[in-house]
Amino acid sequence: MLIELENVSKTYGKVQALRGLSVALPQGAIGLLGPNGAGKTTMIRTLLGLIVVDSGGGSILGMDIRSRRLAIRQAVGFVPEDECLFPGMNGIASAAYAGELVGMGPRDALRRAHEVLDYVGLGEARYRRTDSYSTGMKQRLKIASALVHDPKLLILDEPTNGMDPAGRDDVLRLAVDLARNKGMSLLFSSHLLPDVEAVCEHVMVLGRGRLLVQGRIAELERPHQDEFEVRIKGDPVVFAARLEAIGVTARPADDGLLVTIPPGRSNRLLWETARNTGEQIRALRPRRSTLEEVFLSALEEDR
Amino acid sequence: MPIFDQGYQHWDGPLSSQRFRWLPITRHGVVVGLRNRWIRWGMLGAAGPPLLLVIFLIVWGLFEQKSSFLTPFLMFFRDLPEEVKAGPKGYRTTIWTLAFRQFFDIQLFFPMLLVLLVGPDLISQDLRFNAMPLYLSRPVRRFEYFLGKLGVIGTYLAAVTALPVVVAFALGIAFSLDPAVFRDTARVLLGSLTYSAIVMVSAGLLMLAFSSLSKNSRYVGALWLGFWSISSVSSAVLQNTVGADWCPLVSYTANLNRMRDALLDAGTAWDRMASLGEAGRREVTSRMGLGPHRPRRGPLRRIFGPRPERPPSPVDDINGPSGERPRNRSPWTPPDFPWQWSAGVLAGLAVFSVLILTTRVRGLDRLR
Repeated sequence: MLIELENVSKTYGKVQALRGLSVALPQGAIGLLGPNGAGKTTMIRTLLGLIVVDSGGGSILGMDIRSRRLAIRQAVGFVPEDECLFPGMNGIASAAYAGELVGMGPRDALRRAHEVLDYVGLGEARYRRTDSYSTGMKQRLKIASALVHDPKLLILDEPTNGMDPAGRDDVLRLAVDLARNKGMSLLFSSHLLPDVEAVCEHVMVLGRGRLLVQGRIAELERPHQDEFEVRIKGDPVVFAARLEAIGVTARPADDGLLVTIPPGRSNRLLWETARNTGEQIRALRPRRSTLEEVFLSALEEDR
Repeated sequence: MPIFDQGYQHWDGPLSSQRFRWLPITRHGVVVGLRNRWIRWGMLGAAGPPLLLVIFLIVWGLFEQKSSFLTPFLMFFRDLPEEVKAGPKGYRTTIWTLAFRQFFDIQLFFPMLLVLLVGPDLISQDLRFNAMPLYLSRPVRRFEYFLGKLGVIGTYLAAVTALPVVVAFALGIAFSLDPAVFRDTARVLLGSLTYSAIVMVSAGLLMLAFSSLSKNSRYVGALWLGFWSISSVSSAVLQNTVGADWCPLVSYTANLNRMRDALLDAGTAWDRMASLGEAGRREVTSRMGLGPHRPRRGPLRRIFGPRPERPPSPVDDINGPSGERPRNRSPWTPPDFPWQWSAGVLAGLAVFSVLILTTRVRGLDRLR
């Protein structure tokens, strides 16, 4: 397992940030979801050994989170949420310095810094002072600095916050490439469900310091037996009216219809209606839950 | 913008141990500092006093050997007391002690100046650009962060205090051509290096604490300048008005100076030279017939009578009736207050600095 936590609790004064959190996450790209105050940041800091938990324990990359904190931070790359820079440096010096702080030799760090800056698309801006970088460039520099020692696990805390669409797309493509093509595990914390969906295979949802849902996104997005996405050749409005007449709920969705079959009936009803009205069904598939629905229903159950 | 142009290469090179994790912080800070021309000028200016110290020790080494090389310059040694001229090696420790003491007396300006030039950016800029998460999310503890930053100041201060001391000491020994010189002057070296370490740690911690108080390094610089100058001025004013023993304690540099004198045992060295000087003065005045014990003889005695006792000289006044020399009368001699007071003040400032640092630079467990 990539990450294993067992009954981890952490309290800040009267606020209980983590309540007996137990989770086992496999290697790969993992999305960390949860509303504000759910304990995402506390969990990340626990994994990095930055805070001492009140009870419980666990491991990350096989290293105990209580006893091998520095080794964990050496093996893991972390991209913080806030805008942060090493002052007075250009891009290459900044990335190399990050490598030296992890323990790389100056020569190795410099060579590697060139490579990762090229990789994240900052090659041409490497000699510019970092305080002149745009938000997107700063974000990519943070990623480059976290990648410089080739970590086994990269933790990204809200990596697309405050970015323009193009910059966000770059970061997501970068994360996807790292996870799918470069064999790097990711822990991707975000409020933006489409971002998590785009990058991650697994997801865990935290709520009030507890694990609400965890699993492969493909499995969580389960098909519904009574809801279908239908695309027809003719006029969908007319077809929807016909369906409504026989008790089937139909509403426009994307380029087709989203229909709900009454209990006890099957999708044969749709085929029969099409035959009766002379319409042609081009596509018919069960509707799957979106990640948003999974997220919202998990929060709903938590209340 | 093209991305992933070159792909991503894995890397599996060696990583250093945790023990020296502070070193990159120090190395980076030193390199950044050297890009500042004012710091380079400061370093250049700081080379002046060590040069004079080296020249002095070389000349003294040659003088000890009665080297013919010094023949053209013998006039400079004419006024030395006879005891020194007869057996300079017997005064080696005293002369070296006073030479190093005087060197530090002048040189202390440069560490203070370099701290002003190097220190303000160290933490304040990290706070301004929110660099703490970048440091502390890596295998760097707060202690190592502070140590690395302290190392930056320490490196520059060592370059203008400890390094010149070692170089001057080595050259002084080399030109003495006497193996005993190391034994005689080891205390001077140890005292000087200890004093350099005290200056590095004390000034470094103070500047780091100041640097953590503001995100604007100009304010930090002004704070240091104010602390350095106002404490000295306040001390001088208090000494002239209150005149109590504790007044020098108000001055930061006076406390450092007191530690220097204690570590070098400069008081003993100066007392020895002062007693030599006094003996020489009496010898000269006696030879010139100006001494109090030389009676008038011949016609002068018949005309003017016996020679009256001379009024006490200002030096005698200072020395007092017992002949013991009060130590706080000369700028050369250490003041009367015990060195432990200064050590206490410096230790208190260090503790205060550490408290400020730990309060202002928080761990990631409490950062946003």
